[in-house]
Amino acid sequence: MVIAMQAHATAEQVDAVREQLEQAGMRTVAGRDGVRVLIGCFGEVDTIAPVAVATLPGVESVVPWRTPYRLAGRQLSPAARTVVRLGDGAQASVGDASLLVIAGPCSVEGREMLLEAARGVGRAGAGALRGGAFKPRTSPYAFQGLGLDALRWLAEVRRETGLPVVTEVLDPRQVDLVAEHADVLQVGARNMQNFPLLAEVGRVRRPVLLKRGLSATVTELLLAAEYVLARGNRDVILCERGIRTFEPATRNTLDIAAIPVLRCETHLPVIVDPSHAGGRADLVAPLAYAAIAAGADGLIVEVHPHPEAARSDGDQSLSLAGFTELMRGLTPFAAAAGRTLVQPQTPGREAAA
Amino acid sequence: MSDLDRVRGEIERVDRALLGLIGERVRAARRAAAAKRAARMPTLDPAQEAAVIRRAATLAREAGLPEEDVRDVFWLIIGLTRRAEQEGSGAVAEQR
Repeated sequence: MVIAMQAHATAEQVDAVREQLEQAGMRTVAGRDGVRVLIGCFGEVDTIAPVAVATLPGVESVVPWRTPYRLAGRQLSPAARTVVRLGDGAQASVGDASLLVIAGPCSVEGREMLLEAARGVGRAGAGALRGGAFKPRTSPYAFQGLGLDALRWLAEVRRETGLPVVTEVLDPRQVDLVAEHADVLQVGARNMQNFPLLAEVGRVRRPVLLKRGLSATVTELLLAAEYVLARGNRDVILCERGIRTFEPATRNTLDIAAIPVLRCETHLPVIVDPSHAGGRADLVAPLAYAAIAAGADGLIVEVHPHPEAARSDGDQSLSLAGFTELMRGLTPFAAAAGRTLVQPQTPGREAAA
Repeated sequence: MSDLDRVRGEIERVDRALLGLIGERVRAARRAAAAKRAARMPTLDPAQEAAVIRRAATLAREAGLPEEDVRDVFWLIIGLTRRAEQEGSGAVAEQR
């Protein structure tokens, strides 16, 4: 249940209501709707009757939770939007008016290629670097990532370029290790409902990029986010990356409608992965434009200095030049959506001017 | 020594003091648990826990600290203390 306190309720009255509920074994979280304090109750069942709560001093009304996701939903603070800051917070953020673009290779294949990719995407305006160290591959014989070496290179390249690092964690036992090296912990589509992993990334205080499962509904995605939030980690970024449908022309089907639906249902930032959605480099730009037009807070894009030589996902990776072109192409869409976007550096043009 | 080193030293000193205080709280809670068992009272006391949280929230507000975060911290400390109490009760049971 959710308790709406009267507009003039005192802090002591709010405290007293929360104490009553907590005495009954529930946990409470406070939110705000305009001038009213809202108290959300957490527990498997309500151990105190709503009608009893309604008679407490300062209480205006008691209503049930509208959605199964409580912390991820908007009922407790309808006007609030979560802004997640990456790295030291000064470098990049998502969920505000800026459009965050995370870019980099599918897999970290070596230190030099990673540095080349990072410098290239940074110059083009990316706010963060992606790169896989541990790769969840469909086939056990496919390239599985370079593991700890890749994590170390990611951390080194962050120091050299200043770009916050996003990388996937596959195993609950590796969460602390990955958190030592990365700024954002990615939970991949195949692990969206790996509940021990969600609990572990909820325990550490690093932003979590949670990708929608291949066959997951929006509600299932939000309940997966709820696992992370319920462990105390409030910095969750959701990612729509396409779902599996009957259509074989694209790797997945980008669920554009999920973007406005999620923005209506949750205060968490929503980004889109046009690379995995389409599975083809030539589809990245149009899908990215559509995502921004639909209200996405950002993008995560696969970029490789030499896509033709990539050890994974080369077909859907943009070259550095292709990424710079994408960033230029995004500008009018970002402006139309009321978003700010870092522009690619063009030293040649400045020199000419 | 740079300013940053000095501040880091200060943070480390506070961390050590916090750990010392948490240890002190756990030891006090074990004594409280023993007293409750001697008086044949249940060791788990949700009303007392809720009162501790309320007091922490009030103090946090007065100190200008983020109240919801302080509540979370105190729920963690209560959980930690509760587990220590339960371990204490297990040890007693084994001795018997």
